[in-house]
Amino acid sequence: MVCIRKATVDDLLAMQECNLFCLPENYQMKYYFYHILSWPQLLYVAEDYNGKIVGYVLAKMEEESSECHGHITSLAVLRTHRKLGLATKLMIAAQNAMEQVYEAEYVSLHVRKSNRAAFNLYTETLGYKIHDVEAKYYADGEDAYDMRKQLKGKKRHHHHHHHGGGCCSGDSKTEEGTGVPEAKAE
Amino acid sequence: MTSPWLRCLVGVGSDDGVIPSDSASLSFDIPLLWMVGFGDGDGAEVVLLDLVVAMVVISVGGCSGATAAATILCHSCHVTRVVEICRVPSSGPATPRSDVDFRMCFQLVDGGNGGGGVWGDGDFVGFNGGEAHLHEVNLSNLWLLDAIICIDSHRMLNFGLGKSYETKQYKKGLKAADTILKKFPDHGETLSMKGLTLNCMDRKSEAYELVRLGLKNDLKSHVCWHVYGLLYRSDREYREAIKCYRNALRIDPDNIEILRDLSLLQAQMRDLAGFVETRQQLLTLKPNHRMNWIGFAVSHHLNSNGMKAIDILEAYEGTLEDDYPPFNERCEHGEMLLYKIALLEECGFLDRALEELHKRESKIIDILSYKEQEVSLLVKLGHAEEGEKLYKVLLSMNPDNYRYYEGLQRCMGLHSENHQYSSDQIDQLEALYESLSKQYNRSSAVKRIPLDFLSGEKFQAAAENYIRPLLTKGIPSLFSDLSPLYDHPGKADILGKLILELENSIKKTGGYPGRVDKEPPSTLMWILFYLAQHYDRRGQYDIALAKIDEAIEHTPTVIDLYSVKSRILKHAGDLSAAAALADEARCMDLADRYINSDCVKRMLQADQVTLAEKTAVLFTKDGEQHNNLHDMQCMWYELASGESYFRQGELGRALKKFLAVEKHYADITEDQFDFHSYCLRKMTLRTYVEMLKFQDRLHSYSYFQKAATGAIKCYLKLYDSPSKSNAEEDDEMSKLPPSQKKKLRQKQRKAEARAKKEAEVKEETNVTAVSKSGKRPVKPVDPDPHGEKLLMVEDPLMEATKYLKLLQKHSSESIETHVLSFEVNMRKQKTLLALQAVKHLLRLDAEHPDSHRCLIKFFSKVGSMPAPVTDAEKLIWGVLEAERPTISQLHGKSLIEANTVFLEKHRDSLMHRAAVAEMLYVLEPNKKGEAINLIEGSTNDLVSINGALEAVRKWRLKDCVAVHRLLETIINDHNAASRWKVQCAEYFPYSTYFEGSRCSAVTNSTSHEIPKLPENGGGSDSSIADHNSSSLSSNGKVEKLEAFKDIFIQ
Repeated sequence: MVCIRKATVDDLLAMQECNLFCLPENYQMKYYFYHILSWPQLLYVAEDYNGKIVGYVLAKMEEESSECHGHITSLAVLRTHRKLGLATKLMIAAQNAMEQVYEAEYVSLHVRKSNRAAFNLYTETLGYKIHDVEAKYYADGEDAYDMRKQLKGKKRHHHHHHHGGGCCSGDSKTEEGTGVPEAKAE
Repeated sequence: MTSPWLRCLVGVGSDDGVIPSDSASLSFDIPLLWMVGFGDGDGAEVVLLDLVVAMVVISVGGCSGATAAATILCHSCHVTRVVEICRVPSSGPATPRSDVDFRMCFQLVDGGNGGGGVWGDGDFVGFNGGEAHLHEVNLSNLWLLDAIICIDSHRMLNFGLGKSYETKQYKKGLKAADTILKKFPDHGETLSMKGLTLNCMDRKSEAYELVRLGLKNDLKSHVCWHVYGLLYRSDREYREAIKCYRNALRIDPDNIEILRDLSLLQAQMRDLAGFVETRQQLLTLKPNHRMNWIGFAVSHHLNSNGMKAIDILEAYEGTLEDDYPPFNERCEHGEMLLYKIALLEECGFLDRALEELHKRESKIIDILSYKEQEVSLLVKLGHAEEGEKLYKVLLSMNPDNYRYYEGLQRCMGLHSENHQYSSDQIDQLEALYESLSKQYNRSSAVKRIPLDFLSGEKFQAAAENYIRPLLTKGIPSLFSDLSPLYDHPGKADILGKLILELENSIKKTGGYPGRVDKEPPSTLMWILFYLAQHYDRRGQYDIALAKIDEAIEHTPTVIDLYSVKSRILKHAGDLSAAAALADEARCMDLADRYINSDCVKRMLQADQVTLAEKTAVLFTKDGEQHNNLHDMQCMWYELASGESYFRQGELGRALKKFLAVEKHYADITEDQFDFHSYCLRKMTLRTYVEMLKFQDRLHSYSYFQKAATGAIKCYLKLYDSPSKSNAEEDDEMSKLPPSQKKKLRQKQRKAEARAKKEAEVKEETNVTAVSKSGKRPVKPVDPDPHGEKLLMVEDPLMEATKYLKLLQKHSSESIETHVLSFEVNMRKQKTLLALQAVKHLLRLDAEHPDSHRCLIKFFSKVGSMPAPVTDAEKLIWGVLEAERPTISQLHGKSLIEANTVFLEKHRDSLMHRAAVAEMLYVLEPNKKGEAINLIEGSTNDLVSINGALEAVRKWRLKDCVAVHRLLETIINDHNAASRWKVQCAEYFPYSTYFEGSRCSAVTNSTSHEIPKLPENGGGSDSSIADHNSSSLSSNGKVEKLEAFKDIFIQ
C-alpha cells in the first residue's frame, strides 16, 4: 500500500512538512540538506499510492566519536497511515544502510519518556535497549531515553591504512573546511 | 618593511604541547592557508602533518622548528607551495635548510619590528589542545592582530569552529584593531578588519563605513577588497561581492583564498563559465589537492560539459595508487566512482559505464546504489533479461519499493503509464504478481498493484480479497489507498457495491459473506468509515454524514472518525462545523500534534485565525520562544493563515504571511551556499548535483506559487483601493493651507527618520544580546508584526511585479500566472506585456474561462484607447494591428461576436457562461439583464462521473461561490445575487457561505461574507475552552444549539 524507498533531494520539502505536521521537534530545511548531503543512504521515505509522503526517517552517522555509530535524528509517520508497519520498515531500511555502508557498531536514538507507542516500537519490535536517561532533553522539559541497538559493526579488514578514529570521514582535514552548521540540534 | 602586522597566524609553540594527532577533528572551519606559526619541537611536526594546508608560515622564536616544519610541509603531498615566511626579527633569521628548495616555495618577508618578546606561554596566539580556543593574547604584539580577527570565509566567525566562539573574541579583536589605529589611524587593512569584526557583531552600518574607508585608504590592498567582498557576501549581495573579489584578484591573481571564495559565489550564482575558469585556476595552482580535481570536474559537469568532467576524473584517478583508497576514505572514493559512472550514463556512454561499474565493484561499498545504477544501465542497454533478474534481487532486498515492481514490469514488456493493457498482458501480469505474492507474502504492494490493471469481475474478486483483511485489521488509510481507483472507469461502483455487501452481511450475520467466522465488532465501524469517505468522494454528503454518524455511534472513542467527519463537512461547505469537529478530535488526544495540525488547518479554512494560532502554539513553544512556526519554516500554516486574512480583507496581515513563505524560499536558496565546498570534501557529488537541480526549480514548488500569487493579489487590491490610513491622512492634510502642509510633511519625515534610526539601534542591540542560555541570540522584535508597514508600500504594482517575474520564470505553464500578469500589466498600462499574457493564456488553454475573459477585456480596453500620438504609442498600435489577425478567436469577428461564439461552444458549463455574462456586461453595460439571465439560465444537471451509476449534480460549491461574488461585485446586482444564493442554498444545504438549511451557522445578516467567529464578529475574546463548550456537542454532532447560534448572531 505504501512505497518504502530512499529519499531524494526532491522529497525534502515534503519530509519537512510531514515532520511539522506530526512532531513537536522540528528542523530548518538546511538540516535536512545537511543529512542528505552527508549520508545520502540513510534517508528513507514512505510514499502512499497518491504520491504523498506519509512518513520518513532521517538518520546520520556520528563520525566524531571513537566508536562508529548511527543515530536516528527523526522518524515520523502520519497518523492517518499508522498500523501499516511503516515506522518499522523505515527504521530497518536506515539501520541496514548504516550497517552496510558505514559498518556502524550500533545505532542510537532519543525518545520521549511519555511516548509509550514509540518506546514499544523501539524495544519490542526493533530491539533497542535503554542506554541512559537524559534529563530535560526536550524543549518542554521532558526527559528522554537514550536508546541503543547493537549492529554488526566492522567486518574484518585486512587493511593497513586504517588510521583509527572516525568512520568513513577520513578527509575532514581539508582546506575548504566548512563544517556545515547543523541548523538545529535534535 | 611592509606591514606592521601579519595577515594571519596560529602559533604553536613547543611549550604548548602537542595538538592531538587527529586534529582533523578540530574541524577547522576556515581555510588555514594563511596561518600556522610555531616554535620548535616535535609538537609542531605533528601538527603540521594535519595542518597541511598552511600557506603562510611564520616562524616564532627558534627558527629551527620553523624550517623543520616547512620541510614537512613541502614534502606533504597536500601542499604545493608555502607562500611566505614571516619571522619576528628578535628571534633571528630563519635558516633555510639545504634539503629543501626554498626558492620554489618561500617568499621571505620581513616581519617588521612589531614583535619582540612574543615567545613564551600565553604570550602569543596558539591553539589550546584540541579545543580550538584562542589563548589570551598580549595585545601589545600588534602583529598578531589578524589572528584574532581572522577571516572566516564562510560565516565570518573567528576560527576554531566558531560555534561557541562569539562576542568575547570580537571584542578583543576590536581592541587590538584600535590599538593599531592609535598608531596608524589611516591603516587601510586594519580599518577593513575592524569593519569586518563589527559586521560579525551585527553592527552593519559602522561595518560598511569602516570597510569602505579602509579600502579608500589602501586601494591596492587585496585584503581590503577581499574584506569588502566578504561584507557584501554576508548580506547576500553576491554580484557586488564577485566584483570585489575580482578586484582583489587583479592585485593578487594567485591568491587561493580569494579564488576559492570567488568559486563558491560563482557556483551559488550559477555563473558556470566563470566557475569553470576559477576552478581551473585553483587546480593549476594546487594540483596535488584532491578537492581541486573534483571541483574542476564538477564545474564542467554543471557547465553542461559532462565529457570533460569524465576526463578530469579519470586523470585524477590516474594519479592514485593501486591500493587507494585507505580504509577511512573508501566511502568517499566509492561515491566518486558512482558519480563518474552516473556521468558516463548521462553522456550516453552506457557500455563504458557498465564496464566501469563492474570493474570497480570491489571499491563501491554502497551496494544498493551499485545495484540501482547497474539495473538502470541494463535497462537502457536493452538487457531485459539481466534487468529482470536484478530487479528481483532488489525486490528481495526491499519488497516495498514500488519502483522495483515498475522496473520489473518494464523489463518484461508489461508496463504502461495509463494502465492500458491487452488481455494477454493482463494474464501475464496476473501470473507475475501471483508468483511474487508467494515470494513476498508480507508485502502489501504485490496485492495492491494488481487492482490497477485488473478490471470487471477479476478486479472485484481481487479487491475483495485485498480489502477484507484490511477492514478486519482496521487500517485507517484504506480509503486513501484505494482512492486512485476512483479515476478508473467503473471501479468506484464496484468498490461501493462490494463494501455495501460486506456491511449488509455483517449486520445480518456478524461475518463476511460466505464465511462462518464472526468478525470483531470493529470491522463494521471500519466499513462505515470507508463508506463515509466513499460517498464523500462522490459528493453525496448526506449519505456520507449518515454513515460517519453511524460509525461514531457505534464507537464514539475513535478519533479518526471525527477527523473524517470534519473533512466531509468541509467538502459540503460547513467550514465552522468542520473546525468544531476537528477541535473535538483534537481534544481527544492533546499529545498528538497531527490532530492538532489538522484542527488548525480547519480553523484557518473557517477564518478563525486567532483561535487557530492559539491552538497551534500548543506545540510550538521553543524554550523562551512562544511560537517557532516561522523559524521552523512551517509553510502550510503561514500560507493557510495568509489566505484566510486575505479572504477577510486584512491585506497587511495577509501580505505578512505570504512574504514569510517567500522568505523561506529565499533562505532555502541561501542554504546551498555552504554545501558548495562541503560536498566536494564529503564527495557526495551525485546528491550535490541533484540538490543544485532541485534549487534551480525550487520556486516552481506549489507553496511558493501560492504565496507569490497571494502576495500579488494583495498588491493588486492595495493598488485598486489604497489603504484607509493613507486616504484619511491625505484628507486631513488637504484641509491645511499649503505652507502648513509643507511644514507638517517635513515634520513627519523627520519623525520617520528618527524612528527608523531608533529601530535600527534597537535591532542591533537586540541581535547582539544573548539569551540566558548563552547560546541562541534573542530574536529581534518584529517591528511590524501585523504587516501595517507593508500596506504603506509606495508602488504596489512594482512589488507585485517582483513576484510576478518569479512566477513567470518558474510557473510559466500555469494559467494563473498569466492571468496575474494580465491584471498587473493592464494596471501598469504595459499594453504589450498584457498582450503577451493573453497570448500565453490562449496557448495554454484557449477554452479556459479566464483566457476568454482576458482576451475580451484586453481588446475591449485597447479599442477604447485614444489614437496614438507619440512614437512609442504608434509602435504599440502597430504591434496590435499586426497581432490581432493572428488570434483565431477574433478572426473576422467583433468582440461581441467572439463572446457569443464562446458561449455556443460551452453552453453547458456554469463557469463559461459566467465568463460570457461578465464579458457581455463589460462590452455592453446596458445588457446587464441579459448577462444575469445567462447565469440564471445555467442548469445544474445530474452527471455521472467516470461511468458511475449514481449521478451527481455537476455544479461545484467553489464555482457557485465565485458566481455569487461576480453577481454581487462586478455585475453588482443585489437581487440577482440574493436569488443565486437562495438557489445555491438548496443545492448546498451544508454551505455556510450560502446559509444552507443544514449548515451550523445561520446568520440573520444579509452579508455575503462568511459568517464570522467571535474574534472577528463579536467582542468576546473566546479562549479555546470557551469555544469548545459553546460549539460542541457530544458524539460529534453539530446541532444548532442556542449557544452556538449566539456566537454568530452579533
